[in-house]
Amino acid sequence: LFVVAASGAIPINDLLDRASQQSDRMHSLSTMLTHELGSHFPPIGKVMMPRPGSCHTSSLQTPNDKAQALQISEADLLSLARSLLQAWSDPLMVLSSSVSTLPHPAQSRISNKLQQLQEHSQSLGDGLEMLSGKMGPTAQTISLLPYRGGNDLGQDRISKLVNFNFLLSCLRRDSHKIDSFLKVLRCRAAKMQPEIC
Amino acid sequence: MRRIAEILLLLHWFNLLSVEGTRYSLPGKPTLTRCRSPEKETFTCWWEPSFDGGLSTTYALYYCKENSDTVHECPDYHTAGVNSCFFNKNNTSIWVNYNITVVATNALGSTFSDPVEIDVVYIVMPHPPENVGVTVLEDKGWPFLRLSWEPPHKVDTRSGWITLIYELRVKLEEETEWEMHLAGQQKMFNIFSLRSGGTYLVQVRCKPDHGFWSEWSSTTSIKVPDYFQRERSVWVM
Repeated sequence: LFVVAASGAIPINDLLDRASQQSDRMHSLSTMLTHELGSHFPPIGKVMMPRPGSCHTSSLQTPNDKAQALQISEADLLSLARSLLQAWSDPLMVLSSSVSTLPHPAQSRISNKLQQLQEHSQSLGDGLEMLSGKMGPTAQTISLLPYRGGNDLGQDRISKLVNFNFLLSCLRRDSHKIDSFLKVLRCRAAKMQPEIC
Repeated sequence: MRRIAEILLLLHWFNLLSVEGTRYSLPGKPTLTRCRSPEKETFTCWWEPSFDGGLSTTYALYYCKENSDTVHECPDYHTAGVNSCFFNKNNTSIWVNYNITVVATNALGSTFSDPVEIDVVYIVMPHPPENVGVTVLEDKGWPFLRLSWEPPHKVDTRSGWITLIYELRVKLEEETEWEMHLAGQQKMFNIFSLRSGGTYLVQVRCKPDHGFWSEWSSTTSIKVPDYFQRERSVWVM
């Protein structure tokens, strides 16, 4: 509450700096989780993995290279980052609640990282909401990308692992997008401090 | 299943049959060894050929991108040297999986490598920092080293597309162990705790946010005058 009350005083630069530290951490955590899961993934699982195009966020139009990304306005970049972040709040809960039945030796490590991810996602969401308030109506637009996978990742051992892995691979890509957009925004906001970029 | 294996074996022997007394065969299976993007804008993949089956063998790289069944051939076999394929900015997308296969072909047929699936954002490894410079400066009559460097020129750090951190290492010429220092995002670093006069060797490397450490830069060396000898003689007196 204190942070919210004081937010009027925080310059956009600083907010973006904090935001990109959090998005950076989120992507690192999702990468660690992907590797953790990947090390105990049966070969058959690789064949059964859905294609990345079936991630629940893949309908969102995002840039595919640097030239495209740098052409996007600040408000649209923020809107993309917020839409992606919001799209993960439900599936992150599903992942968290599924760990206890996941056939994997490192359950507690995975559960711990997922909890950190949820915390970062929550506070990043708050921070970006604050930022969008300062950046006008376009930045406040959020595309809804509902997760329709349900609360259950599957009954048998293999489908649990496959679905868990698949969700993580989508999260890894989306958290990389969020982080990239926020870091581009950070540098645009920091023109006065070239040492940051 | 058994049947297929037998037929394949037969075919294999047929391929080994001598033509004019020499043994020829299909080319061996090539291996896609690695793919690397130095700046999150272009990338290169390399492969290792296997045996050529005694015949002239050519190599081709094919890829298809996620959500498309169109097969493309490598756009540029030359820029990155032998057994490589270079993807320029126009041919590089990120957040998209590439499924890549190398095919070795000779007069008897073709052999495919195992396919490799990559997303360019996960294979970023920059070139080493450039213009690494080192000077001896003095602080209250005592020497220290000032190192400075620039990011690899191909990496766009200004727009925020990539954020680099740097690590450096220093040693006296005759020593074996390097002393490491993490410099963060700074492009300058002072080293105060010099242990003697003599020639110091310095190297710097960089790591992108979410990527791999570059190789070390080539060695820069600097001779530090013998302050320590002077100091010791004063102390003895």
